[in-house]
Order: sequence, then structure tokens, then C-alpha cells
Amino acid sequence: MVQTIITRTISSLLVILGSLTLVFAIFYLLPGDPVLSMIDPTYATPEMIENLRIQLGLDQPFYIQFGHYLADMLRGDFGVSMVNSDPVLPKIIANFPSTLILTLASTCIAVLIGVILGILSAVHRNGWIDILARTIGLFGISMPTFWSGILLILIFSIQLGWFPAMGSDGISTLVLPAITLGIVGAGFVIRMVRNSMLEVLSEPFITTLRAKGISRHVILYKHALRNALIPVVTVVGMQIGEMLAGTVVIETVFSRQGIGRILADAIMARDIPVVQGVVFFTAILYVVINLLVDISYTYIDPRIRRSLT
Amino acid sequence: MTDTQRNHTHHRLWLTVSGLLIAISLVVSGCGGVVEKSNAQGSVATANGGTLTYALATSPDTLDPHRSGLAVSVRVMRTLYDSLVVQTADGSIKPWLAESWTVSKDGKKYTFKLRKDVKFHDGTPFNAEAVKFNFDRVIDPATKAANALALIRPYTSSKVIDEYTVQVNLSTPSEAFLGNISQAMLGIVSPTAAKQEGEQFGKKPVGSGPYQYVDWKDNTSISVKKNPDYTWAPETVKNTGAPHIDGITFSIIPEEATRIGSVQSKQVLAAETVPPQNILALKNSPDLQLLQANTLGLPYTLFINERHAPWDNVKARQALQSAIDVNAIVKTLYLGTYERAWSALTPGILGYDESLENTNQPDLTHANNLLDELGWVKGQDGIRIKDGQRLTLKYVDGSPNREKRNDIAAMIQQQLKAVGIDVQVNITKDISTVVYQNGEYDLYGNSQVNSDPNALSAFYHTAEPSARPTLPGLSDPQIDQWLEQGAVEKDKDQRANIYRNVQQRINELAVIIPVYIFPYTVAASQTVQGISFDYLGYPLFNDVRIGG
Repeated sequence: MVQTIITRTISSLLVILGSLTLVFAIFYLLPGDPVLSMIDPTYATPEMIENLRIQLGLDQPFYIQFGHYLADMLRGDFGVSMVNSDPVLPKIIANFPSTLILTLASTCIAVLIGVILGILSAVHRNGWIDILARTIGLFGISMPTFWSGILLILIFSIQLGWFPAMGSDGISTLVLPAITLGIVGAGFVIRMVRNSMLEVLSEPFITTLRAKGISRHVILYKHALRNALIPVVTVVGMQIGEMLAGTVVIETVFSRQGIGRILADAIMARDIPVVQGVVFFTAILYVVINLLVDISYTYIDPRIRRSLT
Repeated sequence: MTDTQRNHTHHRLWLTVSGLLIAISLVVSGCGGVVEKSNAQGSVATANGGTLTYALATSPDTLDPHRSGLAVSVRVMRTLYDSLVVQTADGSIKPWLAESWTVSKDGKKYTFKLRKDVKFHDGTPFNAEAVKFNFDRVIDPATKAANALALIRPYTSSKVIDEYTVQVNLSTPSEAFLGNISQAMLGIVSPTAAKQEGEQFGKKPVGSGPYQYVDWKDNTSISVKKNPDYTWAPETVKNTGAPHIDGITFSIIPEEATRIGSVQSKQVLAAETVPPQNILALKNSPDLQLLQANTLGLPYTLFINERHAPWDNVKARQALQSAIDVNAIVKTLYLGTYERAWSALTPGILGYDESLENTNQPDLTHANNLLDELGWVKGQDGIRIKDGQRLTLKYVDGSPNREKRNDIAAMIQQQLKAVGIDVQVNITKDISTVVYQNGEYDLYGNSQVNSDPNALSAFYHTAEPSARPTLPGLSDPQIDQWLEQGAVEKDKDQRANIYRNVQQRINELAVIIPVYIFPYTVAASQTVQGISFDYLGYPLFNDVRIGG
């Protein structure tokens, strides 16, 4: 068990290092000159451009730049924004709570809708409720979030006036973006719960329970559901990561504060330190969530625990 | 298991579900209440007080006027900073922080007499030292000034004569200088705060304007509140004193649909940059008003790169001019909400040449004849060939589709195909490398907001050997001479004539295809009164009132 955690942790660290290298390399290899995107090329003199390049250390070879970059990151120094000289780490920390709240709210919606519809769908297999649930699931998975987000704004903000179209103050501003993102996750959860329920229901122990004369509802909601939810935990864990990534689009559509928005803007402005900082930060989060999920279901499912020891 | 037990379980499930439904409907109705309440507050507010919420389309880069490179920052900066002078609607220069000024005979020394009653928001008094500090700050390489640096040229130094008199020295005379220092990017910052905050000044801006800075939430909003001590507004606004409203919150809403939706749902009171397809709908809405101001300077212009064959030949360029139907493009894409441009300058600026209007009408026969003359013969696929070379044109445009500029590229591609030119469109975010560094374009569009026709110099004057080439790569001794003359000519009519000549010569040389004049468009609630626009087309908030 301890050994599992150690190996998982080591592989997680490798993933983080890998993502760091990748982000750094992408920006290094991308055509284009970051210095030129920082100052207006119509007016800057070649001398000004060169000075700035030296000041930013961009005249150094790849491995030296990368080395400095890794060392800085390890010291917790994420650098400053190229656009406005803001330190990157405090920027991330200040904007993270808003993204976290959105991610958690979306996850809750995804789980709530997903589990309820998933169960109903499996229990009433091939009935109208099953078809409805599967349609909703398919809709959630296939619709691009920027589209469904704008659709929700048109209906619930402009037409009905129930919720604000933008902003990040208060619960009312959370509803539409969380639903937009939550529906996507719900799509996956519905499928997972449905399949897993159907699978469990066809297992021999259910037949045994039935033979014992135990009521259908007790079998369904007590025995079957408990077993069916184990794989769902994994899906939900993965969904949290997906939601985190989804905030990049959603925060822009709904003009919310958050690290997704910062990332989107930084990419547009080629603000390399900010992009690297946000990617590094989210990579860590992603890896930590996955690690927790891995560890948690060794606890939930005795079979996995046994197979590991 | 008994029936009772079964019913019990059944019950529990439905209890949970209905409980959830109730919870959700509570949240929904509760939130609905919140929105309605804020609406009510908006309409109850009296003629004084209230906060204007104003949606910006992009985020400002910094609120340090000297370091900013974005027009969107000016919307906020104009509330925070004053300038020495102001340019009025007819283009004349009037006092602001400077009460009066004199210009030396050689045109190289400006002596400003300053107002004595002005204080910055941090209490620092405004005086000659402050002006000297500001202008020296712009040319100090450590400031890394952006657009401000271009505007302040040919400034060299300042001399403090007495506490409220400052002499500003230029290396060459410049008739554009006063107009340029009226712009927000040369707004006067508090020397105390600028020294203290250094690089961070853009996040803690201090000026002497009608509003003072409150806070900036990353990518979300910037708030300013009224400066109660303000009594030195320029004559371009009605209210010379402190603003009528308590403050302004600039929300940053990049997504068009969300931005317009926020005004329609009354979540913000005004929003800038309304897309053409929404303009028509908003005009008919009883709750909203549409405000528009055409921006001044260089219209959105396609520059033909003369450094590349065959576009170094005037006939080839004229063929482009005749083959491109600008009217069709502007009508189709902007649905009659944008004006088309005819000249290198926009209407309203000194020296704008009206006689160029309605010239250069599309003429496919003429375009075909010119290309035939040059020896380009149509090949099997309809594209012209000469010496085994296909007639291709590299069209570069920035991403994203700002003001539908990518669509212009697509339409031109279609139009030029008709005369046998293969247009290769390259839409890229990296304009700085592709266009400015590598010059890999035959056609590239740009525009510039500016108050003075001298803006033409940066685009049409032969670049110095060490400097970056201009967009069209033009080198015409006659234009160079006029532009140099225009920069120093003191007689206004003479000056206007010079720039008329320049525009006509640019037209003769067929180096550009002017496309549209960008209107700054604001959709606002009917309850908002008094948003006005300055000479350049930027919004002013001194006179704003919110009320019934």
C-alpha cells in the first residue's frame, strides 16, 4: 500500500516535470519573437528590442534558459508578467478561489444530475426516461461549452432575466457557468452510472438476493448502487480535471475571474511567464487530484486493495 | 422484507428528489430576486450619484499612460489623468492644465503657464516640476514607454522657469506636438506615486483627473470613484467640477454575446464596441440608446507592399485597386453601420481631402487590361501566369477576427480570383514576426487613431536605413518632402494643403486600399445621460448622470 503511494507520487512528479518541459519547449520553438509582441514594433528601435531581449535572458541558449526556469520554479518564483510586470504567483493565488468554486460547483451539478439520471436510466432501461437521460447525456458531451454557455445567457439572462450574464460576485453569477460546465460532466457520469448499474444488476449476487425475496428497491438502491458507484468515483475524479480545463472557455464566455481566464488572455498576448505559471500550477493540481482518486478507490474497493498488496 | 419497508425506501427516494427540486427552485428564485433588486436600484437612483457600469471589450494592459500600448486603456485612463491641453471638436487646441502657452519663433520652445489650483489624487501639487518629470519619464528608456514615446517626439528636454512655468524643448519644430500632448497616453501622472511605485505604477495609478483609482480585479473589472476636489475640466465637457456620479466600474467582457446581453439584461448600464449585427436590433430597442463616434486618424487601410514584385509596379497596384470592390465589402460585412474610407486619412482630421471620395470605383475590365499589359496571361485554372510564375498575393491578417477583418480577407480573395490573382490568406496572431520582422506580405491592413495628419509620416515617409521599413515600403521624395514640411508648417491652411497633396499623391501611386472608418459604438441604457466623446472618438464621463 505504502509502496503504491510512493510509486504513484514519483510518477506524478515525472508528469509535472514533463508538462513543464513541454510548455517551455513549445514557447521556445514557436515561431515569433516574444520581445516584439511586448513593444509596439512600429516605434521600437532595434537597440530597445535587443536590450529587452538581454534583460529577459532570451539571448541565452535553450538549456541555460530552461535551467534557470526550473530553478526559479523550484524556488516558487514564477516570474513576472511580460504585459504589466505583475508577479505571476500572487496573480494565480488571487484568482484561484474563483476557479475552484466554479470547478466544485460544476462537479456537484455533474454528479447530481449524472447519478440521478444514470440510475433512473438503468432502472427503466429502454423506457422513455432512459431515452431522455441518454439524450441529455449525449447533448452534454457533444455541445461545445462556449455555444451552450451563450445559449444559456440568451435564455436565462436576456430573455428571462433570472441570472446575470457575467461577473463573479455571489452565487447568482455562479449558476449559469456551473450548469454549462456541469452538463458536460453529467453526460459522462450518466453513461458511467448507467453502464455500471446494468453490469452490477446482471451479476450473480443480485440473483441470489432476488431469490432470497429481498425487495427490488432494496436490491437496487442498497446493494447494486453501492457497487456501481465505485467506478463512478474515478470518472468524477477525472471530471474535476476536465472541469478545471473547461474553465478556460467558460470564464471567458461569462467574464468570470479565474485562472482559466488568465491563461486564455496570456496565450493571446504571448505572455509566456503567465502561461507557464498557470500550466505548471494546474498540472500540479491535476496530478494531485488523480493521485487522490487512485488512493481513494483502493480504500473503497477491497478487491483493488487486495490485488495491490 | 415487508410492504411497509418497501414503501419506506420508495418514499425516501422521492423525498430526496423532491427536496432537491425545492432547493434548486429556491436558489433560482432567490437569484432572480437579486437581479431584480439591482435593476430597481438603477431606476430609483436620482440625477446625482450612482455608479456607471461600463463594459469594455478587452482588458487594458496597464493604467500607466506612458507605458500603455492599447486603445482600450485610454477609456479608463481618460478618467484618471488630465493633459496640459485639450483638442476641441474643430481640431483647435485649448487650455487644460496649462492656462496659456507661447511658442518660440523657431518653433522649438514651448513655454506653458500652468494652473495653480491642481492637485493629484495623492495630494501632490501639480506644478512645473511635475510636467518636467512626466515628459522626461516618457523618453527615459527605463520607463519602456510605448505609444507615448512616438507621441512625444521630437521632445528633448524641459526646463522649470518658476513653480508654474515650464519650458519644453523640441529638437525640430512640430505642428503636431500640441495635439499629441493632448492625448491620454501623454496624460500627467503624479510624480510622487510614479517614483514610489516604479514598475507597479500601472496597477496603482495616480493622476489629477475627474475620477480616482479604486481597484483592478484581473480580467474582471476596474473601478474608479469620483474625485470630489476636481474643478479643472477642459472646455470639451459641460461639467467643470467633480462628476455627478459616484464612480464607474469598467467590466471586462470579451465575449460579444455576453457583453451585449449584459446591457440588454441591465446588468451593465453601457457597453462598448457593439458588433454591426447587433447595432440594428439595439437601435429599435426602447430601453437602449446607441452612441457612435467615428474615430480619427488613419482609417483601416490595406497597404500594398512595394518591396515585393510585381507590386513594385504601379500598374499592378492599380489593378488591385480596380479589382477590389470596397463598397461591396463594407456593405456586406457592416450592414451599413460603418462608413467606407476613401483616403489615407479619416474625415474630420486637418487636411482631409474630400475630393478623393467616390474615386477609384471598381472596374474589372480596367484591372484585367492592366494585368494583360504587364504580361500576366490567364492559365488553365484562371490564374495568371508570367514566365512560369503564378500571380499570387500574400494577404496577412491578425487573429482573432477583429471588426470582421478576416472576412475582408476572404471577400478580397474571391474578388481577386475573378481577375486571375491567387490570394493566399495567412491569418496569424503573430503579426510582429510575419509582418514587421520578416515582411512576408503583399497586402496587410492596419489603422491608427490619431489627432494629427502627421500620423502619415510613420506609414509613408521613407524609413531611415537602420529603421524598420514602413508597411507599404514606400519611398517617394515628393511625399517625404511634403511630410517634413507638414510637420513644421505653422499656417493652418497651408498645412492642410500640404496634407491634401500627400493624400492625392498616395492615391496616384496606388499604394493603399482604404477600407472603413471605425465607429466607436456604445450601447447604453436610456437612464444614462451625458456620455460624450473627445476629439479622437474616446468616451468622456465628466457629464454622466444616471437617473429616471
